[in-house]
Amino acid sequence: MAQAEAQARAQAGGVAARLAGQHVLLTGVTGFVGEALLHLFLTEVPDVRTTVLVRPKGAITGAQRTAKLLGKPIFRQVVEAAGGVEALMAAKVGVLDGDLADVPALPTGIDAVVHCAGDVSFDPPVHEAFTTNVVGTRDLLARVAEVETAQGSPVHYVHVSTAYVAGRRRGHVPEASVEHDVDVAAELAWGLAQKGEVEHRSRTSDKLAELSEAAERTHGRAGMLTASRAAEEARKQWVKDELVRVGTERARSLGWTDCYTFTKALGERVVEAHAAGGRVVSIVRPSIIESALERPYPGWIEGFKMAEPLILAYGRGELPEFPAASDTTIDIVPVDHVVSAIVAVLAHPPAPAEVAYFHVSSGDRNPLTFRVLYEQVRDYFQAHPFAGGPRGTVALPAWKFPGAASVERLLSTSERALKVADYLVDRAPRSARSRSIATGIDKQNARVEFLRRYLTLYQEYAKADLRYSDRRTLALQHSLSPADQAIFTFDTAVVEWAVYLGDIHFPSVTKPVRRLDELRLRREKGRTAGGSELRTVVEGPAAGATPEQGPGESDVVAVFDMDGTLLSSNVVETYLWMRLAELEGTGRLAELARTAARVPGLVRAERKERGALLRAVYREYAGADLAELDAVADELLTAHVLSRLAPEAVRRIREHRRAGHRTVLVTGAVRPLTRPLAPLFDHVEAVDLVTDARGRATGHLVSSPLVGESRAAFLRGYASEHGLDLSRSFAYADSHSDLPLLAEVGNPVAVSPDVALMRHARRHHWTIVDWASPETGRRTLDPAGSAR
Amino acid sequence: MSRPGFVLEVDDRTPPLVVHEGLGFRMEEFPLGTRVVYPPESLPAIDDVDGAIRDALLNPVDSEPLPELLFSGMRLTIAFDDLSLPLPTMQRPDVRQRVIEAVLTLAAAAGVDDVEIIAANALHRRMNAAELEHIVGERVFRSFYPQGKLYNFDAEDRDALAHLGTTDEGEDVEISKRAAESDLLVYVNLNLVAMDGGHKSVGVGLSSYTSLKHHHTAKTMVHSRSFMDHKASKMHHSAWRMGRLIKDHVKVFQIETTVNNDVFPKPFDFLMKREWEWNLKDQASMLAARRGLAVAPQKLRHKIFHDMRAPYGLTGVNAGEVEAVHERTIAKVHQQQLVEVDGYSDVLVLGVPYLGPYNVNSSMNPILATCMGLGYYFNSYRGHPMVKRGGAVILYHPLNEGFNQLHHPSYVDFYEEVLAETTDPQVIGEKYEKQFAEDPWYRHLYRTSNAYHGVHPFYMWYWAAHAMDHVGDVVWVGGDRKVAKRLGFRAASSLNDALEMVSGSVGTSPSITYLHNPPHILADVKV
Repeated sequence: MAQAEAQARAQAGGVAARLAGQHVLLTGVTGFVGEALLHLFLTEVPDVRTTVLVRPKGAITGAQRTAKLLGKPIFRQVVEAAGGVEALMAAKVGVLDGDLADVPALPTGIDAVVHCAGDVSFDPPVHEAFTTNVVGTRDLLARVAEVETAQGSPVHYVHVSTAYVAGRRRGHVPEASVEHDVDVAAELAWGLAQKGEVEHRSRTSDKLAELSEAAERTHGRAGMLTASRAAEEARKQWVKDELVRVGTERARSLGWTDCYTFTKALGERVVEAHAAGGRVVSIVRPSIIESALERPYPGWIEGFKMAEPLILAYGRGELPEFPAASDTTIDIVPVDHVVSAIVAVLAHPPAPAEVAYFHVSSGDRNPLTFRVLYEQVRDYFQAHPFAGGPRGTVALPAWKFPGAASVERLLSTSERALKVADYLVDRAPRSARSRSIATGIDKQNARVEFLRRYLTLYQEYAKADLRYSDRRTLALQHSLSPADQAIFTFDTAVVEWAVYLGDIHFPSVTKPVRRLDELRLRREKGRTAGGSELRTVVEGPAAGATPEQGPGESDVVAVFDMDGTLLSSNVVETYLWMRLAELEGTGRLAELARTAARVPGLVRAERKERGALLRAVYREYAGADLAELDAVADELLTAHVLSRLAPEAVRRIREHRRAGHRTVLVTGAVRPLTRPLAPLFDHVEAVDLVTDARGRATGHLVSSPLVGESRAAFLRGYASEHGLDLSRSFAYADSHSDLPLLAEVGNPVAVSPDVALMRHARRHHWTIVDWASPETGRRTLDPAGSAR
Repeated sequence: MSRPGFVLEVDDRTPPLVVHEGLGFRMEEFPLGTRVVYPPESLPAIDDVDGAIRDALLNPVDSEPLPELLFSGMRLTIAFDDLSLPLPTMQRPDVRQRVIEAVLTLAAAAGVDDVEIIAANALHRRMNAAELEHIVGERVFRSFYPQGKLYNFDAEDRDALAHLGTTDEGEDVEISKRAAESDLLVYVNLNLVAMDGGHKSVGVGLSSYTSLKHHHTAKTMVHSRSFMDHKASKMHHSAWRMGRLIKDHVKVFQIETTVNNDVFPKPFDFLMKREWEWNLKDQASMLAARRGLAVAPQKLRHKIFHDMRAPYGLTGVNAGEVEAVHERTIAKVHQQQLVEVDGYSDVLVLGVPYLGPYNVNSSMNPILATCMGLGYYFNSYRGHPMVKRGGAVILYHPLNEGFNQLHHPSYVDFYEEVLAETTDPQVIGEKYEKQFAEDPWYRHLYRTSNAYHGVHPFYMWYWAAHAMDHVGDVVWVGGDRKVAKRLGFRAASSLNDALEMVSGSVGTSPSITYLHNPPHILADVKV
């Protein structure tokens, strides 16, 4: 393309004219800024041909992704004018499949490249940050250099960076190269190596021991396999967190707020090196980019950006304070200003080797302080609160801006308190109350975690008392013709914060939330009492006759745990009850005292592994006559068990039977204890006591008590033996140790679960029901005894 | 000398009156003009109980003396009323213990050694050992229970039942095989109220569902006016037909006992006195009881009430031929409980107490409370119901005791599944009775545990069928609203609110009758 010709056109017309006929390569068009940029090109600079670099996602090609992007409402007019997405793409939007991690060769005949792809997360894992922000830029520039050589004409490279590359500086920041003497190559090598390094560290025996100890503490009761699975999960999570942590630490040690700004700054160095080879390079540094002021329409925003989570949290009443000084500036720019600036910069390439820096920021000439922002947010939510639940709208917190230190104190106190509460509730006896407390703790925990994450992330920015000078950008704006200034507006002084925030930005970012709230309310209205979906399983009143014959043709099985699920008692209690029935007077007291003395040990055993507890209890049966045990069970235990039986449980079992399902009782208890319930089940999987020649129990068990993972294994075996379909089957259990059993079936139901199981069930959307045993369970051994 | 029962008309000098409501009672101020039916005071008890029993056995009515019916090598069966009688449970020794001991003494003297003692619990729950022991006494229990010669009747043990035939009206008669095949069946009854005893003892107490289903129906109950008057009760007519058929197969020696109205032990004896006659001590006891119960948790209140043992005194013992004996028994019951009431009223007020026949050592669930109020108390009349047709019944009970899963498992399902569908006794019977009656799980629980038979909640509902058919509104004062709704009724927080609620059907100044029981009353309504 003849340079002189373009020059002439440029003098004749404005920005559009200067760019007419150019071929521009865009990266990151699937992102927020890229999309806005593409839209601006297509609507206001129609004579530019673009090629977009888009990463294929799985089986979806870059072209398909681009087509989908152009199908969005903001492109409707352009698409219609062009006669369809395909026509538009053929005419103006070329697609280059590729990834920044492996930049493909660029097509020749390119006049400019706008690189706005990048990681937008502030806390990316260190290796990813380096890959996208440094390696990606480096490789792209290498390809640009290739193209320049191939086509013999320069390519104007516009690099979209961030104003925050200035790092933890204070005060005035000029539009110039960031001063630092970090060895880019060394840092890059270090950053890329971290993935392997951290993975390696996570596998050291010390680390693994620590992780599995923690996992066993919580999951040990469910079995070793479950525990090791949890430990591996924890290791992966640790790797993720650690990669973020080392990145942030390194960034801070060198004077940046986080790994994002750090690698962005290193990326600029790479760009500057590229420019030093006599190439045409501009760097655009926007500050915090938020929704559009005017284009494509006021309030347009894609995804959640930096401030949105905080705004929404405030509206929900969940952001009690903010660790900023009230007079600190928060530097926000509308996205349309950013892309207008980029296009203007593109139209005004600097001299070769002379990098042009442009700040797109508002803080210098039109500062928005945290106090104003806070007042705007507060006013907005006061006027337009989120739809409250049945308890009305939430109370909005009043910020006093007490300073970062006291917010930190508040937060860490909450964290400590929650930790203590969690420790306690984890050890509290299971009850509806402890469950509801745990639910409360979980909710608070999620809130505090959210606060911790965002406040940690943002407090650096909130503290940064930076003023980004945008004199050069302003000069560029003023150099445009009045007509162009109206189209490509990027003088941030025109933004009236009250209007922009209250009328444009807040309504826009709260819209999806409001829609969700509405849906939720509608759903809640239609919802029936808990566990109602269970009803659909079996038709007809449960009171009907239970088929006397065995299970029907159905290949569905319903497995029930006994203690705690069907009845409100446990093995120790049942054992005691049977023993006491045999003893008289002082014998009872002695037995009670003896058992009481062993309770701490038993509780420890229970926490560690249920099997150990069961073995310890069953040792006590040594010497008992098995036939007599059966007789005692029939005569005395029946009343004890049946009066503790949850009515809903029985109804549920009978419903399954009526539906033709096979019913199975799984318990770690010895067989005589299951006798009262046996008629309800097709199969009772219980433990048998070893007897000697005289039929007396030796205190040993024929096989291991069925707990934790062995229940899952049993169920698998049972299912394959009888040709059952576990994905359609049901399991009912109450304890975390039954996790493997529940996980085995398609319809797991947590019955009055302990806290750990409740949490798991919530996370996995399992049904949770509360089968209360009758309160007036008879506690005395002899119901008519008082009559004597 | 005990004073007869009477009807008080509330005037401005009438103090607040006791109204029982579950595990407690309240002092209610009734509107002026309310008629309050008080039972006769307790009849004097027989001092020489053993002498009276012996006398009855030796000089029976229309029968040979018992010793003449006993002979060596014979097969003797003694059946007795279960723990549903009397209410509350009697202080030791139970009169049945004394009668059984007397019968056994005579049997031993005659050299009878094949003796079995059966609790005639029909479809009621099996009594546990302690409960059996309480009725028959320690000596009898020790001698018979361990050998399996003292046991609960099992109406579902097909091998232990005998079908004796059908009555003229086609009703099956099926009773305990052991009883049917005995040379002599001695029935030891405790006739608390007028519905008990007579042919109902053997014909119902020792019979199975096959027999019971003929007269325990909503239709029969609607036409039993009332079931406290066996001559006007369709149910009793059926039982009498069956009893006569039984008489053709087995010699029945019926021993019926009657007790006086001493239902509350000290310190609750003030509950049996007329409120305006309370002395300082009674007033203090009342206050103490009210305060105590107000703060006591439900479990404790349950224990306080259910631990009461009534100091009943024996008023009569008659033995011999069933119908002749029963006639004398009924006369005695009437003497103790009958109160003449002049005409019926628009509204009937009933206080449902903590205890009914089916929640001894158990809880008064909503279905039992309904049965107690609309069944037993409503039917405590002769002639005409105490309330006009289309009138209103106001009941007092909190309906909050829940269900005893051990004793009443089928009640829970009846409440959750059947009443949720319909509360019409007729429809319920046709649609669900068979299902429940034949359910193997309920059968299993009835036979091996301490559960009422699967069909029992239906009978409770039928018991109330006559009242439901007769009256328009039923309102529970102090009742749990949700529960009352499930039962098909309404709840009010006070008597005034309840009267307001029923004013649509009975007007704003209805005539009101309050049946002041317990102790037991049988209103003889003269129209």
